[in-house]
Amino acid sequence: MRFLRELQRDFMEAVYGGDESGFARKAVADEFSGRERLRLYRHIAFGNMTDALRAAYPVVEQLVGKEFFDGAAWEFIRRYPSRSGDLHDFGAEFAGFLSRFPSAAILEYLPDVARLEWACHKVFFAADRDAFPLDRLAQVPQSRYGHLRFKLNPACRLVRSRFPIRRIWEIHQPDYRGERTVDLNEGGADLLVRRRERVIGLFPLGPGEWDFLSALGAEQTFSKACGGVLIKNPGFDVAGRLRHFVADAILVDFYDERKRRGKSKSA
Amino acid sequence: MNCASPKFDPIPAKAGIGLRAPHYREILATLPAAGWFEVHSENFFGDGGQPLHFLEQIRSHYPIALHGVGLSLGSAGPLDRGHLARIKSLAGRFQPGFVSEHLSWAGVDGRYSNCLLPLPYTEESLKHVCRRVERVQEFLGRRILIENVSSYLQFKQSTVPEWEFIAAVAARAGCGILLDVNNIYVSAVNHGFDPSLYLQAIPRGAVEEIHLAGFEAQGDILVDTHSRPVYEDVWELYKRAVLRFGITPTLIEWDADIPPLAVLLEEAWRANAVMEGEYAFSA
Repeated sequence: MRFLRELQRDFMEAVYGGDESGFARKAVADEFSGRERLRLYRHIAFGNMTDALRAAYPVVEQLVGKEFFDGAAWEFIRRYPSRSGDLHDFGAEFAGFLSRFPSAAILEYLPDVARLEWACHKVFFAADRDAFPLDRLAQVPQSRYGHLRFKLNPACRLVRSRFPIRRIWEIHQPDYRGERTVDLNEGGADLLVRRRERVIGLFPLGPGEWDFLSALGAEQTFSKACGGVLIKNPGFDVAGRLRHFVADAILVDFYDERKRRGKSKSA
Repeated sequence: MNCASPKFDPIPAKAGIGLRAPHYREILATLPAAGWFEVHSENFFGDGGQPLHFLEQIRSHYPIALHGVGLSLGSAGPLDRGHLARIKSLAGRFQPGFVSEHLSWAGVDGRYSNCLLPLPYTEESLKHVCRRVERVQEFLGRRILIENVSSYLQFKQSTVPEWEFIAAVAARAGCGILLDVNNIYVSAVNHGFDPSLYLQAIPRGAVEEIHLAGFEAQGDILVDTHSRPVYEDVWELYKRAVLRFGITPTLIEWDADIPPLAVLLEEAWRANAVMEGEYAFSA
């Protein structure tokens, strides 16, 4: 299979690297039209990937315009080739890329809007989860509460920005019909991105809530998450907020690390 | 939460339509007279949410086929087991009448182009593709169909024409053929061969499904854009295909500049009319 592998490597190099002449000479039946045809394949490949980015980042495209978006997308594709046969996986690094893309530097909030859109993209395809297993929680002895670790609903993500990205996102939604101005000094946003049934919404979190949910979402133990939030936000109602996250299925599961380890050892 | 899987529903020998997101709601509201729907498998690789929700509902009214665009069957690199596992899980859940993939490759060594690239038609490629098709069929526990792609270049190392190659893959690996009549036409114009030769080289019993779509001309080359109605010459070629292969499940594909559902239903109606007319004529 040496020949096939070499041919495919060279083909990909011609598509991504942009130098098609060597490959056209070596492998394409009609060398003259071959170069042109390889360019056509590059155009189709880059076009497919650009369309995938366009689908995941519609607000970014509206903010910068189609021409700029297409230019940024082609540069991005060259630097971050697709790593999956499923185009829905493509574009995870786009926010990071935009933060280092000199032509976009004037729009300081653009990378954060892109991060928000990627969170929405992931949430769109995430699993539908049942309610929290309250019965199982009721069987946990009180002495183990501090050791519990919780699981964030897969259709929930947390996004933080020092810019009003919720407002920016909302006024660029297709069904938005209101005032289209944004005050960039209005302040940042700590957001819970969440899909309920099939609708995605952005919900602002208070400072304590953000710290607490971030810690729980990172699967810290309950006692560590409480300690962290209470140092920064004395008087924060951890029990009340936990009840809310559980009742609202923002948290959907829990486990006891020590008990789980013990189980797997005995298995 | 999980509904019981639907029973296996064979694809009827009628025209079907490629299911695309802009039409989900209208299809459920009107239950149009389409024989069946085909979906791109990768559009349903997520774990939940809207796509699976709608597919489940549409599946409860129609047979469906799964059509993959990203497995990269012809790649010299290893098979993507994760990708394959997702196809298997979808097939288990939705019981499709067909599972199909393209006779092409999309990338190698972990880098993808996400388009359908042609293979060099050599003995080495043939052995490799046959082995891959066998592995895929073994993993999925079912026969698959492989589809001919449109191509814009040919490799000087090819030793046989595409039609001999695809017929040989079907014979050796024991898979079926999804014959895309538009792709035959596009490649015939691009490479200057007679499309009838292609049809004649494909064994009668091997074709289980036919695809029809529209292309666009870019300079002197035809590009398989799936953005236009089926071209008149392609309808003519389709008639010849129906005469040769008999009444065969036929899909109308449209992926860019997607028109109202009514336009697709009209194209499907025309495919049914060809099948009824040509079959009656040939009988």
